[in-house]
Amino acid sequence: MQAERERPWRYLAPAAFLLAIVTAYPLAHVAWLSLERRSLLDPGPPRFTGLDNYLRLAADERFWNALGNTLYFVGASVALELVLGLAFALAVQRPFRGRAALYGVILLPWAVPTAVSARMWEWMYEAEIGVLNYLLGTQVNWLGSPAWALNAAILMDVWKSTPFVALLLVAALQGIPRELYHAAAIDGASRWTVLRRITLPLLAPVILVALIFRTIDAFRVFDSIYVLTGGGPANSTETLSIYAYKVLFQSLEFGYGSALAVSVFVLVALTAGVYVFLLRKIVQ
Amino acid sequence: MRIVALVLLAAYCLAPFLWQVVTSLKPAAELVSLPPLLPSRLTAEHYVAIFAGHPLARLIANSAIVAVGTTALALAVGALAAYAASVLRMRGRGAILGVVLAISMFPPIATVSPLFLLLNALGLRDTLAALVLTYSTFSLPLAVWLLASFFDALPRELYVAARVDGCSAFGALWRVVLPLAAPGILAAALLVFIFAWNEFLFALSFTATEASRTLPVGIALFPGLHEVPYGEIAAASVVATLPVVALAFAFQRRIVEGLTAGAVKG
Amino acid sequence: MLTRRGFIGTLGAAALAACGPPAPRRGAATLVFKHGKLFGDPGVLRALIDEFERAHPGVAVREETLPASSDEQHQFYAINLQAGSDAFDVLAVDIIWVAGFARAGWLRDLGALERKAFFDGPMEAVTWRDAAYAAPWFIDAGLLYYRKDLLEKYGLAPPEYWNDLVRNARAVMAREPGLHGFVWQGKQYEGLVCNALEYLHSNGGAVLAGGRVVLDSPQNREALALMADLVHRYRVTPGSVTTATEEPSRHVFGQGRAAFLRNWPYAWRLLQNPSSRVHGKVGVAELPHFPGGRSSATLGGWQLAVNAASRHQEIASSFVNFLTGEKAQKRLAIAYGFQPARVALYADAELLAAQPFLGRLERVFAAARPRPVTPQYVRVSQVLQSDFSAAISGLKTPRAALAHAQARIEEILDAG
Repeated sequence: MQAERERPWRYLAPAAFLLAIVTAYPLAHVAWLSLERRSLLDPGPPRFTGLDNYLRLAADERFWNALGNTLYFVGASVALELVLGLAFALAVQRPFRGRAALYGVILLPWAVPTAVSARMWEWMYEAEIGVLNYLLGTQVNWLGSPAWALNAAILMDVWKSTPFVALLLVAALQGIPRELYHAAAIDGASRWTVLRRITLPLLAPVILVALIFRTIDAFRVFDSIYVLTGGGPANSTETLSIYAYKVLFQSLEFGYGSALAVSVFVLVALTAGVYVFLLRKIVQ
Repeated sequence: MRIVALVLLAAYCLAPFLWQVVTSLKPAAELVSLPPLLPSRLTAEHYVAIFAGHPLARLIANSAIVAVGTTALALAVGALAAYAASVLRMRGRGAILGVVLAISMFPPIATVSPLFLLLNALGLRDTLAALVLTYSTFSLPLAVWLLASFFDALPRELYVAARVDGCSAFGALWRVVLPLAAPGILAAALLVFIFAWNEFLFALSFTATEASRTLPVGIALFPGLHEVPYGEIAAASVVATLPVVALAFAFQRRIVEGLTAGAVKG
Repeated sequence: MLTRRGFIGTLGAAALAACGPPAPRRGAATLVFKHGKLFGDPGVLRALIDEFERAHPGVAVREETLPASSDEQHQFYAINLQAGSDAFDVLAVDIIWVAGFARAGWLRDLGALERKAFFDGPMEAVTWRDAAYAAPWFIDAGLLYYRKDLLEKYGLAPPEYWNDLVRNARAVMAREPGLHGFVWQGKQYEGLVCNALEYLHSNGGAVLAGGRVVLDSPQNREALALMADLVHRYRVTPGSVTTATEEPSRHVFGQGRAAFLRNWPYAWRLLQNPSSRVHGKVGVAELPHFPGGRSSATLGGWQLAVNAASRHQEIASSFVNFLTGEKAQKRLAIAYGFQPARVALYADAELLAAQPFLGRLERVFAAARPRPVTPQYVRVSQVLQSDFSAAISGLKTPRAALAHAQARIEEILDAG
C-alpha cells in the first residue's frame, strides 16, 4: 500500500536534536549539581556530596514554608481557574452578536506579558495610591499583610490564566452533540442536571488536559509573584521557584539551588502522573 | 440576565488593562494621586517619551524577530515530531509525549546558568539566535502536544488515500495533513508566539546590548536608580501588548475552530 | 503555507541575528563598562569617557547598561562572572556585593587606593582581607525628611531621639486629620535591612562584631521593638509600610500625606521640584538615635571594580581610577547630583554652588555605617529581611524574630 516506507524516526530527529542540545545538557547539569556542594561564596572547590542537599532540603523550614505556599497557590488558583473558566465558557456557549469580539477580550489577560501584568496589578494593589482601595473605599493592605498577600497573588494569576482554560472549554463545549441537549430538554431536565449529567462528563478529558498544563505552570510560578511581592512579607508569598531563585542567584549556592529545582520537577511530575492516570481511567 | 453576565465578564477581563491605558494617558503630575480617577486632560507625553528616550522601535523589532523565528522553528520541528507520533503511528508514542512533557516541568531558573554556558560555548552570546534557539526548544513540548492532538483529530482516511495515490510520507504531510490542520496550527502558533514575545528571564540573562535586547527586558530598564516612571511603563505595557492582542483578534475564530477540532478528541 | 514562509523567516532571523553587537574599533583595546541605568543626561558621562579615550590613544570604551534593579544586576553578574566571562571589563557594583565577589575571585585587587581620600564607610565595605577590590564611586545614606512648615506651625523641633520623633509625629497627626506620621521602606527587600539597621546601629547594637553574630542583644531588641511599635503601638506608621519601597513612600510624603519620611538623598531634588506639592516645605536632618547612641544612617552607593577575567586589566584599572578621580566625580556630581565618595569635594566651592544640598550631607556620610561586611552578606540579608519583615508585620515578636535570625545567621557563617 505505501509507496515508500515511512521511517518515522526521521521526523522525530530535528526535535530530538534540539531537545538534546538545548535541554539535555542543562538538565543533566542541574541534576549533577544537585549532588554537589557548590557554593560560589564558600571556600574550597565543589565537592560531590551525594544526597546531602536533599537531606538538607528535608530539614529546611524555609523549604517547607515555600512548599506550603506553592501547594496553596496551585490548589486555589487552579480550582478557581477551572470554575471561572467553565462559567465563562458556558456564558458564551450560544452564539450571539459580537461573540467574536468577546473572544478577543477574553483572550486579553492571557496575552499580556507576565511581567507587565504583574506590574499592573502591583500598581492596582497599592495600599495608598492604588485604584482597588480607592474604588472599594477600603484600606486593605493587599500586598503587605501576610494574611492577604498570597491571596492577592492568586487573584492576579486567576485573572491572567482563566482565559486559557475558558478557551479550551469553549472549544470542547462546541463539540458536544446538540441532540443530547434536545433530548434532555424533552425529558424536562433542569439546567443543573444537564450540567451535571451531560456537560461535565463529556468535558472531563479536556478539563484534565487544562488541569495538567495549568498545574505545571502554577507549580513553577515565579515572575508574577516576584514582581508583585518579592516573596514577602515575611516569606509568606515565597514559592518554591522564588526560593530557588534566591538560593541560586542571590546566595549563589548552585548545588543546593539545583536540588530545589529537582524537587520542584519531582513534585510536578508526580502530580502530572496522577492526572494522566485519572485521564486514562475516565476516557475508558 | 445573560447580558449582565457577559458585560461583567468583559469588564473583568478588560478592567486592569483599561486602567493601564488610562494611566498611560495621565499627565505626570496626576499619576500618583487618587482622586482624580480619570485624567483631567489626555496627554501623549509618555508615548512620546518611550520612543524618544529609549530605542523602543529597535526593541520591538528584536522581539518581533525572535517571536516570529521561534514560532516558525518550533512549529516546523514540532509538526514533524507530531506527525511521527500521531499520523505515522510511531511506537512508543506515549513515552515520547511523556518525555517531551517532562522537559517542560523543570523550573526555568535552574537551567539559566548551564544554558548560558552552553550558548557562550556556541558563540551565541548576545545574539537573537540564542533566544530563538532557546525559546523554540522550550516551547516544543506545548507545540508537539497540541499538534499531535490536532493531527489525531483528522480523519485517517485522507492520509491513507494520499499514500495509496502514491504520495510519499512527507508529501502527505505537506499536501494533506498540514492544510487540514491549519486552524490547529494557528492555535499552537499563537501560543508559542505569546510565549516568545513575553519571555523575560532568558532574555535578561542572555542579552547584553540593544543588539539583541527584547521588549520585556527593555521595559525593565525604564526605572532609574530609584525613580519609577509609572506613566512610561504604562505606555510601554500598552505598546507591548497590542501586537499580541491584534494577532489574537485576527485569528481567534480560526483558533477556536482549531481548538475544537483538537480538544474534543483530546 | 505557513511552514514555507516560516522557513524563510527563520533564515532571515538567523541572518539578522548573526549581525550581533557592533564590531569593536580596531585598536589596542576596547573596554566594556557595565553599569546600571543612570538618571540624567547620558552625554555628560560620555564626554568624560571620551576624555579618557583621548588621553589613552588606541583605547575605546563602550558603555552597556543593565536594569537599575540591584537584584537584576546581581543576577546578571552572578551568571556571567561565574562563567568566567570576559565580555566586560569594568563593572559598577553595589556596596553589598564587593566582599562576596571578592571572595569568589571575580574582582581584581585594585592595589593601593587613596584610602584617606574616600569616606571611611565605603572603604570599609570595599576592603576584603586588607585589599581593596573596588573603588568607591558615589555614596548614599539614609536621611530624615520632614515637613518643616508643619513642625513650625506646632512649635516642634526636628527630633534628635526616636521617641521625640514619635511624639512629634503624634502631635502633628492629632491636629491634621488624615495625615500619616512617619513613612519609610518596610517591604521585604534589601531596603528594609537598610532601614532596620538605622535603628539597631543607633542604639549601639550590631549584627556582627569581631566575626561573631551579636544580633540577639538587649539593645537590638529595644531598637527593633521601637520599629515594630511605630506601626502597631504608636500607629504613626500605616500598616501599608510592609509594601513600601523608596518611590511609593516618597510619593506619599510628596503628596503631602505624611509628616516624616526616611529616604535616600535622591528624593530631595524631586521633592523640591517646583511642581511638587511640598515644594519649599521640606526640611532635612540626620536620622534620630537612641539616648547614648548616635545617628547611624545606612550606607548605600556604587563602586567601580575590574573583572578579574578581563583581558585588559591595566587599562581597566586606569579607567576606574579616572572615573573615581576628583575631576570626574566632581563633574558627575554637578551634572547628575551624584553624591561623590571623595571627602575633599564636600569643601569644593564650585560644587557646593551648583549642588548646595551636598553641603548638608557630609556629616551624614562621615557617620554612615555599612551593612555587615561579609562575603555571605546576601544570605545573611535574606534572613534579616524575612525576620525584620515578620517583626514589623506583627507575625513575630521582635524578640522571637531576633532569636530566629541569630540562629540562622550563625548557621550560615559557620557553614561558610
